[in-house]
Amino acid sequence: MPGHSETHDIRPGIDGDLTAITGRLRRITVQVHGSSASAGSGVIWISNGLIVTNAHVARGRAAVVLPGGRAVEARGLAWDPEHDLAALAVDADGLSAADVGDSDSLRVGDLVVAVGNPFGLAGAVTTGVIHALGPRRAAGPSFIQADLRLAPGNSGGPLADARGRVIGINAMIAGGLALAVPSNVVARFLAPLRHGAATVS
Amino acid sequence: MNALLSLSNDLAAAVERVRGAVVAVNARPRLPSTGVHWRRGLIVTADHTVRSDEDITITASDGRTVASSLVGRDPGTDLAVLRVHDTDLPLADLGDPGSLQVGHIVLAVGYGPRASWGVVSALGGRWQTWRGGEIDQLMRLDLTLYPGFSGGPLVDVQGRVVGINTSGLSRQLELAIPVSTVVRVADELIDKGHVSRGFLGVGLQPARLPEAFRRRLTGASEIGLLVVNVQPDGPAAKAGVLLGDVLVTLDGAPVGATEDVQAVVGARRVGSTVTATILRAGAPAEVSITVGERPPRRG
Repeated sequence: MPGHSETHDIRPGIDGDLTAITGRLRRITVQVHGSSASAGSGVIWISNGLIVTNAHVARGRAAVVLPGGRAVEARGLAWDPEHDLAALAVDADGLSAADVGDSDSLRVGDLVVAVGNPFGLAGAVTTGVIHALGPRRAAGPSFIQADLRLAPGNSGGPLADARGRVIGINAMIAGGLALAVPSNVVARFLAPLRHGAATVS
Repeated sequence: MNALLSLSNDLAAAVERVRGAVVAVNARPRLPSTGVHWRRGLIVTADHTVRSDEDITITASDGRTVASSLVGRDPGTDLAVLRVHDTDLPLADLGDPGSLQVGHIVLAVGYGPRASWGVVSALGGRWQTWRGGEIDQLMRLDLTLYPGFSGGPLVDVQGRVVGINTSGLSRQLELAIPVSTVVRVADELIDKGHVSRGFLGVGLQPARLPEAFRRRLTGASEIGLLVVNVQPDGPAAKAGVLLGDVLVTLDGAPVGATEDVQAVVGARRVGSTVTATILRAGAPAEVSITVGERPPRRG
């Protein structure tokens, strides 16, 4: 298209779509060096510096490497080990933030894309499909189950749908399956923070 | 709409299309397997997941659990057919087996539903399982068959069943049994309750072949099989095989042990023809034998 200013990949087709989505997810995925020895991942949820990761990746202070490579200190805002979620804040503004999808609308078979830092390899992408919906065990918390390859270091990173919308936070590997915290659970986890922010400002 | 989203919608629609016909089969301790509503009131599953012949139940996609009975099983192809009387379940749509190609995207669906995806990794010819059954086409998959997926459908992106997944025929490979084999075996199980095994109607005993004969006939091993018994009016008798003949090759393959004969004939369909090379009175001869049906075992 004449005068088109977009520089990212606009090739048609599945591979073009996938590279475009991967590029967008990389711009919202951070490395988190928290309490554990190995680095995890995190998702820039709000452009003002609110980052979501797993509770097992970071509790309290953490060192975060932003998508551009800039390292910043993050402070802990909230921590929920039951849902394996943590919220961090970094002093940054105007960051690219996740386009968050509705995890309740997922169907078994839907394509999903994960980006993270498996074994320290920043920005690695894997693809798969939704394996099953509903709790893995009747009593346990509800995870999205995906037929998708994860590795240590993916923890805290985004699981996105075929539109590139973040529908989960990758949390663990069980029986070869990827388990992710649904985005709607993340929204409920963040609701008190956002409410608090609203009353302060 | 972008292409990736379109594929995602197709995959989800494929699962949705087949899910009503996918059931959980409760016929072994702890872990249910998967079954497919194949014909009205008849469920196909993987034989190795049906541990008991009794007290089998089926859990439908709507969560209802109903009693089920075993119609028949064929360990050779790892297929079993179960009957359910509660038959308002939808039937699976079958795909055209001939249209499947290497590289096609496929989904394995387990009860729940649960799904995994991948591609058809390799397609081969007719092969014989370690359990002695004959599968029309080797279908090797690049996807994960999760625990409980055996007996479930392999579907194409249109949600049509192109095979039945099983981990019971190979420890290393993810395999599916093609629809053509499932149709053949299921029909026979429904009609007769068992699958006919090929049969020649001869008693055989290993015998060393004369050196001079082996030099004249390529493909012969050191040992042939001496015909020590011919069942009257059996398939071999009808083909003119005589007491004292020595069986040397079957369909071109040397037979040096009775197991070799069982391997070739046992997997063959009743009514098909095998070509045998025999040594009779010091000279090779060829006979065509129409494979008969092994009489059912007594007791």
